[in-house]
Amino acid sequence: MDNYFEEIEHTADIAIRVWGRDRAELFAHAAYGMACQLADPDEVDQIVEELIELETYDAETLLVAWLEELLYLGEREECIFTNFEMIEVTPTYLRAVAWGGSAPEYWNHIKAVTFSEMNISCSENRCETTIVFDV
Amino acid sequence: MANHKKASQKDFKRVGKHIWELPKSFRNDMRVPVRLFGDVELFEAAFGDRTVQQLVNTSTLQGIVGYAMGMPDFHQGYGFPIGGVAAMDAQTGVISPGGVGYDINCGVRLLGTHMEREEVAPYTPTLIEALYRACPGGVGGKGRERVSERELIELVTQGAKWALRQGMAHPEDVAHTEEQGCLEGADPRQLSDRAKERGRPQVGSLGSGNHFLEIDVVDEIYDSEAAQAFGLWENQVVVQIHCGSRGFGHQVCSDYVKRLQSAVNKYNIRLPARQLVCAPINSPEGRAYYGAMACAVNYAFVNRQVLAMGVREAFEQTLAGLVENFDLFQVYDVCHNIAKFEEHEVDGRKMRLCVHRKGATRAFGPGREGVPADYRDVGQPVLAPGSMGTASYVLAGTQKAMELTFGSTCHGAGRTMSRTQARKKVWGSDLRDELEKRGISVRAGSMKGFAEEAPLAYKDVNRVVEAVHGLGIARKVARLLPMGVIKG
Repeated sequence: MDNYFEEIEHTADIAIRVWGRDRAELFAHAAYGMACQLADPDEVDQIVEELIELETYDAETLLVAWLEELLYLGEREECIFTNFEMIEVTPTYLRAVAWGGSAPEYWNHIKAVTFSEMNISCSENRCETTIVFDV
Repeated sequence: MANHKKASQKDFKRVGKHIWELPKSFRNDMRVPVRLFGDVELFEAAFGDRTVQQLVNTSTLQGIVGYAMGMPDFHQGYGFPIGGVAAMDAQTGVISPGGVGYDINCGVRLLGTHMEREEVAPYTPTLIEALYRACPGGVGGKGRERVSERELIELVTQGAKWALRQGMAHPEDVAHTEEQGCLEGADPRQLSDRAKERGRPQVGSLGSGNHFLEIDVVDEIYDSEAAQAFGLWENQVVVQIHCGSRGFGHQVCSDYVKRLQSAVNKYNIRLPARQLVCAPINSPEGRAYYGAMACAVNYAFVNRQVLAMGVREAFEQTLAGLVENFDLFQVYDVCHNIAKFEEHEVDGRKMRLCVHRKGATRAFGPGREGVPADYRDVGQPVLAPGSMGTASYVLAGTQKAMELTFGSTCHGAGRTMSRTQARKKVWGSDLRDELEKRGISVRAGSMKGFAEEAPLAYKDVNRVVEAVHGLGIARKVARLLPMGVIKG
C-alpha cells in the first residue's frame, strides 16, 4: 500500500499526496496513509470492526468527514484503523467497513483533517488529492 | 476562480525597522495590505513556504481592518498562517474557525516557585517522573478528571471559576489568567454531542504534538521592574505548561469548518481558500461559532488549571520535607489561538474588533484594561516558549503593540523545518541523550514524535524575540532555560 501515498513537505503539520484507481480506492488509501502517520500499521491488531455510513454535500467534505470519523472512532475505541472495505463511494455518499486495533507504540496524534490544499481530481482511471493533517 | 498569484520578496516594501509591507494592489481581491514582522533573515524565510500566500488570502476576508499580519515566528499553517493576526470590524466583518485553528486556546501557563536552581537540581529527575504521572500526556490521553455532561456544561460556561468552585484553583490563579480564565459569550447550546462526548474524559491532560511541561530556571533578567511585578528573579525555578482544549476544541473547530461551508454560500462570501471558511460575525452562524469557540477557550483554561494542580501535587510529593517552601504561584496564563472582541484605535477612532490570533499572543501594554491590576503598571506578561531544550522568554506587553499589531506579538519560536525533514536529520533517542548530557531530564511519549520537535526544526527563538523587542511589540523581561522536559 506504500505506493499509494507519499508524504510531502509541510512546515508545521503533516501533508500527504494520495491516489487510487477510483474514488473508493482513493478513500481507502487516504485512510491507510493517515494510519501510517499514527503508528506502524503492520503492528496494529485487527480486533475492532466499525461500519461507517456518511452523506455530505460534496466530495472534499466527504473525504474530510470519512477521515475524521476514523479519528473519532479511534479516540473512542483507543485504536487505529488500518484495513478498509469500501462498499459504496459516490461523490457525496460513503458506506464502508474499517478494521483496526491498538498499536504497541503511537508515533503521533492527528488533531484534525483540514481542507487546506485538498482538491480531489478524478480522471478515467486515477483519482488523487493532497491532504493536510493538523498535528 | 481562486487567485494564486505568488508574491516574491521584491513585491514587499520595507516600511520600518523589521516591518515589510505588501501593498493591497498586489492582488485585486486583497482588502488590506499584508505586513510581515521580522529581521531580514526572518523575512526571507517567509518565502520558503506558503506563509505569504496564506496571509494574502487572509487579507481578502470581509471586514478586515489595518493589515493582515505575520508575527516574526510566522510559518505555513492551514487557512491563516501560524503567527497570523487579523482584526475584523465587529459590525461588518467575518469570524473564521480557520483563523483560530483546531486547538482552540492552545496556550501557555507559567508557574513560579520560591526555590533556586541548586535546591531543585538534585531532585529534577524524580520531579520529572512525578510530573509525568500527575499530568497525563500522549496520544488519546485521558485527563486527571472525568466530568459528567452537566459538569462539562458548567465548566465550559464558567471556565477557571468552575475550577475555583471545585477546589482546583487558587483565587490568584484565576486573577492571573487572560480573561480571568473565562471568555464571555460561551454558549453550550452550540456544541455538538460529539464535542461534549470527547471533552468529558480529557480534563487535565497534556495531549501530544508540540505540547509540553517544562521545569525551567530563570537564567537572565532584562527588566527588573517588570520581573519584580511578575514575581520572577534570577536563578528561580519556574514551570511552564503548554497545551490547549484537546479533543473538545478540535471537535468544535471541525464541526464549524463543515457547518460554515453553507454560510459561505448563503452570504455570498468569496474565498480564495476553503480552509478560510467563515461567517459574518453578526449572523446566526457566526454567533453560533463564537459561542462554541468560547466554550473551548474556557475548556482550555480549565485544562491548564487542572494540570497546574497536578504540578503542585507532584512538587509536594517529591519535595515535601526536603525543601522549605515547595508552593507554586501563578505568574500568568496566555492564549495562543483565539478570536476575541476588543476595542482598538483604527485611523484615530475607536472600533470594536474581532481580533483573530492564530499562533500569536495578546500583548496589552501598561494601563490597558484587561491586564491584571498588579501588572497594570508594566503591561501583561507574554509567554513565548522556545523549542525543546532551548530558551523560553517572558516578555511584557507594550503600547507600541497596541499601535502596530492590535496588541499582539509572537507566540514562540515557530517551525522552520517539516516533521519529515526533522526525522531524517535527528534520532529521538540521540536527541534525548544529548539533552540529558546537558543536564536536562527528559520524558517523552514517543521517540518519533520527540525527534519531530527537535530544536533544529524551529527558528532561533532568540532571533524571534530580538525582532519583537526591536520592533517594540513586547519587551524582554526574563529568559528561561530548561532543567527538565516532558513532551506530550
